[in-house]
Amino acid sequence: MNRLLVAGAVAAALAIAPLATSPVLGQQAAKTWTAPKTPWGDPDIQGWFSNLSENGTPLEKPAQFAGRSLEDIKGDELTSIKQAAQNRTIESFAGPLHAPEDWWQKDLNMVKGSQAWLIIDPPDGKVPALTAEATARQAAAAEARRANPRGPADSWEDRSLYDRCITRGLPGSMIPAIYGNSYQILQTPDYVAIRYEMIHETRIIPLDGRAHASPKIKTYMGDARGHWEGDTLVVETTNFRDEASYRNSNGSTLRLVERFQRVGPATVKWSVTVEDPKTWVRPWTFAMPLTIDDTQPVLEYACHEGNLGLRNILSAARSEEEAARANK
Amino acid sequence: MRKALWVFIIAAYLLALSAPLWAHHAFSAEFDANKPVKLRGNIVKMDWINPHAWLYIDVKEGGKVVSWAIELGPPNALLKRGWTKTSVPVGAEVLVDGYQSKDGALRANGRDVTLPDGRKMFAGSQGTGAPGDTPEK
Repeated sequence: MNRLLVAGAVAAALAIAPLATSPVLGQQAAKTWTAPKTPWGDPDIQGWFSNLSENGTPLEKPAQFAGRSLEDIKGDELTSIKQAAQNRTIESFAGPLHAPEDWWQKDLNMVKGSQAWLIIDPPDGKVPALTAEATARQAAAAEARRANPRGPADSWEDRSLYDRCITRGLPGSMIPAIYGNSYQILQTPDYVAIRYEMIHETRIIPLDGRAHASPKIKTYMGDARGHWEGDTLVVETTNFRDEASYRNSNGSTLRLVERFQRVGPATVKWSVTVEDPKTWVRPWTFAMPLTIDDTQPVLEYACHEGNLGLRNILSAARSEEEAARANK
Repeated sequence: MRKALWVFIIAAYLLALSAPLWAHHAFSAEFDANKPVKLRGNIVKMDWINPHAWLYIDVKEGGKVVSWAIELGPPNALLKRGWTKTSVPVGAEVLVDGYQSKDGALRANGRDVTLPDGRKMFAGSQGTGAPGDTPEK
């Protein structure tokens, strides 16, 4: 009952939050800045956030930066890298089969992006090697595909969870795309809620130290538990469904540890440590900043409302099959 | 077996972390780059639905009126640029440049939607027909 009440309080806070003004943006980024606290004394990481400008940043360290550290790539060099990424993004949408570019291009500002790649550990900036078990698992999956080949749209189940409006999973829900990169973080003493515009997710994360759900219970977004370590919110998520488990990992053994730390008047640093001893030989971590942006509130993205595209993709595939048969 | 395939497909999507050029759906799976269409018609309605909005237009073809459905982008992106339900005038004539659906139905992607005077609809800056533009005298 108590949990329900608190969840209700979080939902109510979500509902009224757009009416509240952010005290943070009113502050100047002065040298005297100190990280704000909530009225009950926790670090305050709340707000509307966007990470649109981090779009186009490669996960792994590109070969051109061999021998250099993330901190070395800054200033004009970083700006020119980001400008090139922006140009590539726009060029990739220059073909005929898209919606009008005005829908999103004017908001794209990758030049403000803050880093040249995302992986901060291991130091080489690469995803660690797969374990023997993961290699065997992927080989078995490849063999299964050879034995039972399927087209890209034989069934709706052949489309991604994203195409099907189910989820972008974790950490996918916070990975920037060309639009829909709005997030909201809200706190109570006992819970943190994180909302993701695309595609319509809210995580309500208990902070009371309770145990994880039974391993038998697996979900697309996993089972999250949070706690404060100094000024940092640490969220540990486990119990993933295999089909939503990050980068082909094992949903039962994957553990994502996110850290949210307020590092400036309008910035929360978000990092994700990815651990799965059945998939990678060591844990690895990537990070990016989330920027407070009150002009980008989370709007409802009721993805199933009119997901006509999915039906049309399937009917397109059927008519292509028919055409192929007719040409035989 | 099916699960293995799923995992492969999902992996392909999640790998897009390093190539983050996502839009919600790949229009290339729906529309045919070999079937360009240019449609002049009048707006019947705009469905502000997720994940993509649809614009419905009536096109006169040899004395008959043919209804086309035009797939657009996500409503939230337009809304954040200042467009609202009342910004898309029913009855207005538009020219749609797009590509027809692969299954031959009267659907197309709206690559460009322009008003008769050449101004682009759904653009967000001054002088492009966006809401907030100085109205023409």
